[in-house]
Amino acid sequence: MKLKLPKLSELPRPSGKAGIALGLLLFALAAGAAWKLAVTFDRGAAYRSPIEAEAPPATPRDQALEEQAAAEAEAARTRPYEEAEYRAFPVVGSRVAIWVVAQLHLLFAAFVLAVPMFAVIIEYIGYKSGDKRYDKLAYEFTKLLSVSFSLTATFGAGLTFMLVILYPKFTNYLMHVFSPTFLPYVLLFFFEAAFLYSYYYGWGKFSPRVHLFLGVMLNVVGTGIMFIANAWLTFMMSPRGVAETGALISTWEAVTNYTWMPINIHRMIANVAFGGSIAAAYAAYQFLKAKSDEERAHYDWMGYIGNFVAISGFLPLPFAGYWLASEIYAFSQTMGLTMMGGAFSWLFIIQAVLIGVLFLFANWYLWLGMGRVPGSEKFRPATKWLLVVIVVCFAIWATPSSPISTAGELQAMGGARHPELGTLGVMSAKNTAVNLMILATFVSFLLYRRCGRDPVVRWRRAGNVAQTLIVGLAASSVVFFGILGYFVEAAVRIRLSVPQVLSVLGAMVLATVIDVVLLRGARRAETRWGKISHRSQYALIVLAVTFTWLMGLMGYVRSGLRLHWHVFGVVRDTSVDAFTPTLGYATKVVSVTVLIFFGLIAFVFWLSSLAGKKELSVTAPAAAPEGPRLTAGFQPAPAPSASAGGPEGRPR
Amino acid sequence: MKVPAVPVELKLALLAVSATLFYAWVGQLVPQKEVHPPEVVEIAADVTPEQMVGIGKQIFEGKGICVTCHTIGRSGALRFPDLEGIGTRAGSRVPGMSGIEYLVQTLYEPNAYIVPGFIPGMPPANKPPVGLTDDEIKAVIAFLQSMGGEVTVRMDMDLLNPEAGAAVEPQAAEAAVPAAGEAAEAGGDTG
Repeated sequence: MKLKLPKLSELPRPSGKAGIALGLLLFALAAGAAWKLAVTFDRGAAYRSPIEAEAPPATPRDQALEEQAAAEAEAARTRPYEEAEYRAFPVVGSRVAIWVVAQLHLLFAAFVLAVPMFAVIIEYIGYKSGDKRYDKLAYEFTKLLSVSFSLTATFGAGLTFMLVILYPKFTNYLMHVFSPTFLPYVLLFFFEAAFLYSYYYGWGKFSPRVHLFLGVMLNVVGTGIMFIANAWLTFMMSPRGVAETGALISTWEAVTNYTWMPINIHRMIANVAFGGSIAAAYAAYQFLKAKSDEERAHYDWMGYIGNFVAISGFLPLPFAGYWLASEIYAFSQTMGLTMMGGAFSWLFIIQAVLIGVLFLFANWYLWLGMGRVPGSEKFRPATKWLLVVIVVCFAIWATPSSPISTAGELQAMGGARHPELGTLGVMSAKNTAVNLMILATFVSFLLYRRCGRDPVVRWRRAGNVAQTLIVGLAASSVVFFGILGYFVEAAVRIRLSVPQVLSVLGAMVLATVIDVVLLRGARRAETRWGKISHRSQYALIVLAVTFTWLMGLMGYVRSGLRLHWHVFGVVRDTSVDAFTPTLGYATKVVSVTVLIFFGLIAFVFWLSSLAGKKELSVTAPAAAPEGPRLTAGFQPAPAPSASAGGPEGRPR
Repeated sequence: MKVPAVPVELKLALLAVSATLFYAWVGQLVPQKEVHPPEVVEIAADVTPEQMVGIGKQIFEGKGICVTCHTIGRSGALRFPDLEGIGTRAGSRVPGMSGIEYLVQTLYEPNAYIVPGFIPGMPPANKPPVGLTDDEIKAVIAFLQSMGGEVTVRMDMDLLNPEAGAAVEPQAAEAAVPAAGEAAEAGGDTG
């Protein structure tokens, strides 16, 4: 006889009351089981007769256990108080635990600090131009902030508690040096929360000027918070204002230590690059999920803006990096050489791979984006040459000074350095390569701007020639100083990066100014937002991952440069973790941190998309109008799908 | 048969994980080296000059972190002076200073005299982050002297107290170097 089981869907569904009763029953069963387990574990500590009802006779073992417990209790009562220097974190150890939590805190903090910067600028453009689509875009960026801010605070609190628990003595020392900075920090944090939530929830509720003021104040306060926190960590790296014994001389000097301002500037720019890339990744996700052309057009535009912000921050970043590195050398040549020539020298080869990927994918995204604009075909041949420049420079930057070699290879090379390629493994070549990569990416931007635009000014031919000359001269200057570096003394050579940097920066500023004036009133073809290959959106995801990984890696080297010191040269690390791990180990920790971050940011995206669904359903899509004209700098043509302002529109 | 489409979320997750794993893999390709804090070097009072040279070499390459900046037997565009032949050169580097006086000064007060063509940057060897003891510095001097010169330093010398028999008082040495203050564009010789 065959037993026929009913299908699950055929079973009668319990009523509401029956469901509650069932739930209570299950809860009671679970609670009873937990109680039983707890009691069992409690009794398991000492041997008991299996028969509970009978009082066990006092065996010699029982007596010995009682005496031992009494002795331990007495020892605990009479033990003198000792301040713990370190405590261990289970499984992964204290250093990795602090490392991961601090990195996650920094990543979310960077995002929360960066997004308001470009959100306010975009909102201001919308306010000045009267185009509400910019307002909506700024609001969409800001939507990502709310949950991220909570996560930043959560990881910040976690980091603080973990420092106090795991490194109490060192944390106490930092308190001793920086105690006057903590209250201002807390106050600023309070104000940041107030400005952020009033900026976000007050969208469309305040007058535009008041709302913009809130946004500006959010940036001011956020920057202040970052500056204070940077004082703590840069002091650990390049201490000042304390005696050799560690005794405090001046808190202000401790704050304004050697690397404080370079880190402030470097982080501010890096945050913008990172925040832009994450916002672009959000837009890419929404683009790929989009069901309509309107949505695709909107998120294509948003992704483009996010990437534009990211690359705008990324291009000047190496210059801020030069300044930071030169301050590190000025503070301690030993630390500088540890960074570039010692334990961390190979880390910069890994960094070169990351930056090469960033340049390649950023340019590829731009080249794919040219397809949106009719008439861009004439620039296609130029992209091939730009690709050649970027790949060659990438290869030079990733060339190690002394390659990993077998004994036979070393013998064949006649030393640790390769006879030909070794020439490319020095800073003169690497500085030249990175400056040329920056110039090539800038040229990609210029070409993208030209797509579908036809200048109408009389001097357009002269303008084109001037731009070409400026970029060409800058490239020649970079190459000249790069070669010169091989023939001069060290004292001269290390200063040659300055004219290289100035050449590139100067060319970028001059060519941009000419471009803006040249394209004023230009005839333009319509940009077909949303008409772009899906591969471009995956490129945005790779860029976001790479930016995040790069931040993790560079955070590691900045912290790791202290080697076995909590505060370099002042407070020595005597814990079990007082050594510098291998780069392989460090990259694994960075990778795990990056994956955790993307798991959490996916949660942020999901929550933001829930809010977005409601808005899209209440806003009417607009027709595809002509975008606003360029006024200054680079503004892309707006998306055709952009609709009303914030969730409820904005009073104008 | 229609193949079900891969969800966008899964594609993005795979892409993010792949990119991360690629970078982690790159991190495994480079040389792997742990850097441990320097160990304390025990030096007996009755060590021979040869033993001092050996100990000094060990400190030079380890705790003293001298090799971070200095080379031995390299030429070309160097950031800090190459130390081959320093045992001979030390005696003639600064007029009026003996070889051992010069080496003591350059280790305790490296910026008092900067070799032309180099930049200042060497930390005092007896202070953090290097933090060598006086005995360890004597051993390093023995090693430096052994490169082309005669080892004259002894463990029983008081390097900072000339009246006790050996070398030089750093302040006096600084005064004896007329160009010291003007030579801020160069770098210490050893370390």
